[in-house]
Amino acid sequence: MKPTRQFFVLAVCVPLLSACGSDDGERLPGSLDRHARAVELVVAEDGRPVPWVLAVEQVLHRDNGEEPVTLDPHLAEGTPSAHILRDLFEGLTSESPTGRVIPGAAIRWNISRDGKTYTFYLRREARWSNGDPVTAEDFVYGLRRSASPSTASNFAQVLLPIANAAEVLAGKVPTDQLGVTAINDHILQIQLKGPTPYFLRLLNHSSTYPVHRPSLVKYGSAFSRPGNLVSNGAYILKDWVLRSRIELVKNENYWDAENVIIKQVFYYPFEDQSAASKQFRAGELHWTYGVPNNQFKWLQRHYPDELVISPWAGSYFFGYNVTREPFIENQDLRLALALALDRDLLTEKVTQFGEQPSYALVPPGIGEFVSPQPEWADWTQAERNDEARRLYAEAGYSEDKPLRFEIRYDTGQNNNKKMALAAASLWKQVLGVQATLVNEEGKVFLRNREQMVLTQVFRSGWTSDYADPFGFLELFRTGHGRNYYGYSNALYDSLLDEIASERIPARRRRLMFEAERILLGGLPFIPVYTYVTKRLVSPRLKGWESNIMDHHYSKNMFLLKSVHEGEASAAAVERDEERPAEPEESVTEEVLPTATEEGQANEAPGEHAAATAAPAAEDGQASEDPGEAANSEEVPKSEPEDDGATAPAEAVPAEVEALPAEIVESPQVQSEAPGETGEVPEENDAAGGDSGSGEGFRE
Amino acid sequence: MPGAVFWGQLMNDRVLRVQDLAVHFKVREGLLFNSKTYTLKAVNGVSFELNAGETLGIVGESGCGKSTLARAILGLIKPTRGRVLWLGEDLGKLDEEALRKRREDLQIVFQDPLAALNPRMTVRDIIAEPLWTFYPRIARVQVDERVRGMMKMVGLLPNQINRYPHEFSGGQCQRIGIARALVLNPKLVVCDEPVSALDVSIQAQIINLLKDLQKKLNLSLVFIAHDLSVVKHISDRVMVLYLGRAMEISSRSALYKRPLHPYTSALIKAVPVPDPKLARIASDTGLTGDMPSPLDPPLGCVFHSRCPYVVKRCELEVPALRRMENGDWVACHCAEELDLTIGKAPT
Amino acid sequence: MTQDSGMLKHTLRRLLGLLPTLLMLITVTFFMMRMAPGGPFDSEKLLPAEIEANLNAKYHLDEPLLRQYFRYMGQIAVLDFGPSFQYKDWSVNELIAQSYPVSLTVGGLAMLLAFVLGTTLGIAAALRQNTRVDYSLMGIAMLGISVPNFVIAPILILLLAVYAGWLPAGGWDWGIASMVLPVVTLALPVTAYIARLTRGSMIEVLHSNFIRTARAKGLPESVVIRRHALKPAILPVISFMGPATAGLISGSVVIERIFSLPGLGSYFVTGALNRDYTLVMGVVIFYGVLIILLNFLVDLIYAWLNPKIRYDEKY
Ligand SMILES: Nc1ncnc2c1ncn2[C@@H]1O[C@H](COP(=O)(O)OP(=O)(O)OP(=O)(O)O)[C@@H](O)[C@H]1O
Ligand code: SF4
Ligand SMILES: [Mg+2]
Repeated sequence: MKPTRQFFVLAVCVPLLSACGSDDGERLPGSLDRHARAVELVVAEDGRPVPWVLAVEQVLHRDNGEEPVTLDPHLAEGTPSAHILRDLFEGLTSESPTGRVIPGAAIRWNISRDGKTYTFYLRREARWSNGDPVTAEDFVYGLRRSASPSTASNFAQVLLPIANAAEVLAGKVPTDQLGVTAINDHILQIQLKGPTPYFLRLLNHSSTYPVHRPSLVKYGSAFSRPGNLVSNGAYILKDWVLRSRIELVKNENYWDAENVIIKQVFYYPFEDQSAASKQFRAGELHWTYGVPNNQFKWLQRHYPDELVISPWAGSYFFGYNVTREPFIENQDLRLALALALDRDLLTEKVTQFGEQPSYALVPPGIGEFVSPQPEWADWTQAERNDEARRLYAEAGYSEDKPLRFEIRYDTGQNNNKKMALAAASLWKQVLGVQATLVNEEGKVFLRNREQMVLTQVFRSGWTSDYADPFGFLELFRTGHGRNYYGYSNALYDSLLDEIASERIPARRRRLMFEAERILLGGLPFIPVYTYVTKRLVSPRLKGWESNIMDHHYSKNMFLLKSVHEGEASAAAVERDEERPAEPEESVTEEVLPTATEEGQANEAPGEHAAATAAPAAEDGQASEDPGEAANSEEVPKSEPEDDGATAPAEAVPAEVEALPAEIVESPQVQSEAPGETGEVPEENDAAGGDSGSGEGFRE
Repeated sequence: MPGAVFWGQLMNDRVLRVQDLAVHFKVREGLLFNSKTYTLKAVNGVSFELNAGETLGIVGESGCGKSTLARAILGLIKPTRGRVLWLGEDLGKLDEEALRKRREDLQIVFQDPLAALNPRMTVRDIIAEPLWTFYPRIARVQVDERVRGMMKMVGLLPNQINRYPHEFSGGQCQRIGIARALVLNPKLVVCDEPVSALDVSIQAQIINLLKDLQKKLNLSLVFIAHDLSVVKHISDRVMVLYLGRAMEISSRSALYKRPLHPYTSALIKAVPVPDPKLARIASDTGLTGDMPSPLDPPLGCVFHSRCPYVVKRCELEVPALRRMENGDWVACHCAEELDLTIGKAPT
Repeated sequence: MTQDSGMLKHTLRRLLGLLPTLLMLITVTFFMMRMAPGGPFDSEKLLPAEIEANLNAKYHLDEPLLRQYFRYMGQIAVLDFGPSFQYKDWSVNELIAQSYPVSLTVGGLAMLLAFVLGTTLGIAAALRQNTRVDYSLMGIAMLGISVPNFVIAPILILLLAVYAGWLPAGGWDWGIASMVLPVVTLALPVTAYIARLTRGSMIEVLHSNFIRTARAKGLPESVVIRRHALKPAILPVISFMGPATAGLISGSVVIERIFSLPGLGSYFVTGALNRDYTLVMGVVIFYGVLIILLNFLVDLIYAWLNPKIRYDEKY
């Protein structure tokens, strides 16, 4: 498999493989970033990190993509707003780091037999940031506001499953007709129009967040400004400097405040991903929103620890306008084009970030749903090409009479242009198709695509707001607002209706499977690949996990000490009564996915024996951990001290370029970290004059 | 003034000696890569002397090097060769600062009156600037008084002191230029075509003004013009310049009656005569063709390409500037043989 | 005195004369924006008809176009640019008020730097015309003009921020450190241009007659340059600076992106792409006024430097 994929597998799996590999979370000697090497993570019984591995300063710096358009949860749209709102507010349900639905403001709930009535029992201890209790009435108020025509939310469609929501939105009935009732202060009942199996997922969408009524009354539309905003999440909005930063601080009134480790979160907007990546490399960010396109190889080489790639619940595809020639009623021709696209090539050469070739609509990993795969998904590309040529000829096209059409796309973030170009040239190469590229400005493109007058083949794609395949399938329903394909199939539509009202998960999945199969038969689109998220994350930042929705709550995160910080502050911790006892009970967890990779890379022949545990000894605890001790040799404490003392002198910037090359090429070897590798990061930080204090701590 | 005694001693003595003065310019032609540099001999071996209180007129066609000579005399351009001795002191040997100090004695009035004045300065500032420079401690009232005095002296209204140059006519501008040149009480003033840009009627006014001032202030003057009629009234002696070389240096009386050099004779004949009946056509002057390019001057006598009296020798040998019996100087091989008395038909 | 009051009158007259221009600008932009395909609420996501109707009603987009136009004109008459469609928490006034100081600071400092450095280098080169100093300075200037910002900026960031760690790689906190890189990057090409401009005009001025006169007066060379040559030599620079300053302080989109500055420039782009009508209008009007004022200021400086103009204005 390609290195890309291998990497991503590692990124996803390693948290589970906590036992494998023992090495420090060492930084590459050659990488130039200023992120300090992290100490090893040690977690207590409850799964929380033990206090002494945590950095003193728990301030998180997150690149948040573009400037959020608003922090009013009911007006919010777009990922940047959503990220911040998840920190500020808490819906009835919440999500675990891996994306499971877990209790949020509601501690539990009942779902009626018909799946249409949800009863939520709110946490009695839940508080607004100003100390007011969070009540069922707050949710009723919030949901009504969200649905109200005067709010003019453009994400209120999330509420549509709720009884009367459509009527309220259309202004046909007053907002109090919305199917939401507060039974008492802590019990909330929501009536649905029909059973909606993914409804719980919707309840952590910002459109369903409660709002603090008194402050809304007091400040009106300015209620979401810093200083005014009263929120019920783990954080409070402290400051918003437009297009500079948004600062959140921990909400001490949050019901779970004692488990919130990050005290302060800075969200920075970046219009330019390469600007963000430079700031990351300069050590000014812990977390980027994305990475610059086409830098995969470079980043993989220089920042293997930091580069995190994981699947995302979104599909990229080309759409056909099946109401226009030449694609009307021409399924075989549509299939021919779909076959002729070498997806492996496209993902490898164009998207480059480990995107998965796709042969269906719904991306993998959404719940337990598995998409049907067309027969040709298992063929070789050569076989597909042969079949494509046959179908192409059958449809009446040839070299003399080539198929001509336009590929329409907008220049966005997703390599649209390159993708269109690559597709056109593949079609030309395999079939002799004469495809013309039409590049359009974003909104023009959206309009044209919607009107279905000019389009033939066009860029398309979908990411769902909630992890449910239905959101994807629905796009092809007759008359659906986003059915740009002109696809209309009565059977398919009736299946969708069935799915909407089916509440037995397994049966619902079967129906969805069947619907997707029909869709793949009709092929009003050409599946290409499924999205991944790709970002740089500081190795010190833990507590988050990859999930297909790409929802990451700051409240779950924490910053590990850098090795130096470890040395400096551990002096104090050393005298802590907790320390000697703790290691026996604690379990070391190798969380950093890339840690294993790195260890192998750093392996330098002939130095295994002496140095195995050196970095571990440096932070003073890991060496005592049983798991660690199994494959590492206890090293006398004096040894790392020597390292610390001599390392700065050996600072050789010239090595900096030479080393990363080895990393990529070096075979997978036992992950022992030679003492030598400890030197460079040490030295990098020595600028701060830390090495002296390091010695001090060991005395 | 410390120089006063010395100055007195030198009265009626040579104050300025110019010896074999030459100014060559490097001229580049063509584009960046195939460019050639030529030497343009704007002034090429000029010598003369000047007495205190005397006026030397310098005459020559446009481009013959008059302005260059004027600036070289004052040390405003570094000469390529030769010396300028002011009161016996070689100006070429002075450093920039010392030379600058000599500006108190050596002044110049420029050709284009308006362009020579800084448009961003008032008359007061223009005239007073040399005063501030040489007497930084002088009181403002004194400066003003002196400026007004100068303005009155050159025939300007002192209440125009705050005006800008563009608010004056050409003649008035030249008066400003003169006032500015004279404000430091110089001993030598070089006037580089001070009237060429002016109407004929105004020319006379300015020339008279200069003449008066010269008498009043006992100035040595070098007065440059491109035709002989202008210098006639003011000069004691006249030097005729052609292609950077002196052709003739004669006393005024002799020159206008019986020029020694064929070029001088041609120039005299070219002087426009107010009476149209007497006006002669250009061919009558005996001057044929244009002045040759100074970049490529004729060999031998530089004038030979246009001289009506040219002989073989003229093309081969450069005539030296020789002293004639009457004490005048000429650079012509045939000076003795030719009788160029004005009014006689050319032989 | 009379001259001054004449100038004041002239000033006011010219300012009033610019009002129709501004009005035209507003009108054309208004209708052009509306004519552009797509609306502010078009997006990749599904927007149910009811919701779109609610949105249009909220922002009066359901009214006839002319009515919207007059509504808008009425608003801006009281200097209210309305709410931003995109940044829903903010009014356009707030957006401009928050971002403009940044652009003004970066652009202003860059212009200042470019002016001081450019004129100095230009004069230095002119005084050593055709020497090695001159050639190398002008060579560097040519480079500065021809190498675009988006090439220089990342190099500077890599060297000074990522590797050396002396300066932040981006962001804005009103600290000097965060200003250095953007200001320098922004100033470089302008500096180079000004240096060339200054050199050319300085050489020309040094050959002019009144400089000869000044030298003949016996002024030290430094005084000749300072008192006589400088002002006329920078006149072309001044007239260049009007539009250039307007360009710089209205925010450079490229610089803002690269250094993550919260300046005004990006609003042009995001506003236009998102069909954020009010934002685009606000920024365009603001920029228009800015250009007008700056050109005007340049005229004033020009007149101050050049008495001939002052004189002519009386007629
Ligand atoms: N700085 C210079 N560089 C090169 N050539 C020069 C320079 N100054 C003058 N020359 C040339 O030297 C020659 C003499 O010029 P100059 O100005 O002395 O002539 P002029 O007799 O004063 O003419 P005019 O009557 O037009 O003022 C001309 O050919 C002119 O082109
Ligand atoms: S030397 Fe010869 S050419 Fe020259 S002026 Fe005398 S006669 Fe004429
Ligand atoms: Mg001249």
